[in-house]
Amino acid sequence: MSFDLYNTALGIALDKGILMNHIKLLFFATIRDRAGTKSLELDVPQDLTVQGLKDKLSTDFPNLKESMSSVLITINREYAFDDAIISQNAEIGMFPPVSGG
Amino acid sequence: MMQPSTSNFPTIFSITETELDLNDLLAQVTLTSTGAAAIFAGMVRGVTERGEPHETEYLEYESYVPMAEAKMKQVADEIRGKWSVVEGIAIVQRIGRLYPKTPTVLIICTAAHRDTGVFDAARYGIDRLKEIVPVWKKEVGPGGGEWVEGDYTPKPGE
Repeated sequence: MSFDLYNTALGIALDKGILMNHIKLLFFATIRDRAGTKSLELDVPQDLTVQGLKDKLSTDFPNLKESMSSVLITINREYAFDDAIISQNAEIGMFPPVSGG
Repeated sequence: MMQPSTSNFPTIFSITETELDLNDLLAQVTLTSTGAAAIFAGMVRGVTERGEPHETEYLEYESYVPMAEAKMKQVADEIRGKWSVVEGIAIVQRIGRLYPKTPTVLIICTAAHRDTGVFDAARYGIDRLKEIVPVWKKEVGPGGGEWVEGDYTPKPGE
């Protein structure tokens, strides 16, 4: 979604009284390459879950859609799962299964 | 009999871009009560025979550093939970562009004696690092570069 479209969506959400959370996304490895950026700040509905975020990113970044089935997600540096609700000011990490060593 | 208290046991965990210094690290996890150290070192393999044989020019490592260091601390805590005899623990991962034969990771566990489970403790340390510590490597060879992806999905609470 373009920045203008995004702001319009945010404006509508605010008009309707939908409360938003500001979050920061950090992308690593293949996810960063496909997203074309290291990080992103977003305003998202307060009840957004990890699954909801994956769905949103699949729509906004078609390149990421394929990665969303195996992506690992962290909230504030702890692994998080599909039902988890994303908190205000959350730092969200998104990356493939780790390969250190 | 003097027994060092657990709180005095050194625990070192870090992500670094500088050369790994095994002697320095070993000294930091050696106490007067220490008689054995199990050390695992991983390095860049230039020629791979197993699986699909191939050559590697270099590996490019990256990390989600603050989370990686927190997870290394968690791995050290898990080691202490399983092997209370372990004295010092060091878990260090080097990142950046690393060429064949270069050490990339060091795991050291020390104990009073070698028959205390200290080998298993170090083995557990590298196995867990490869499961939950957010570090990735891109393998670059004659045919180009490709991210290596692990196969472990952390479970809730990990």
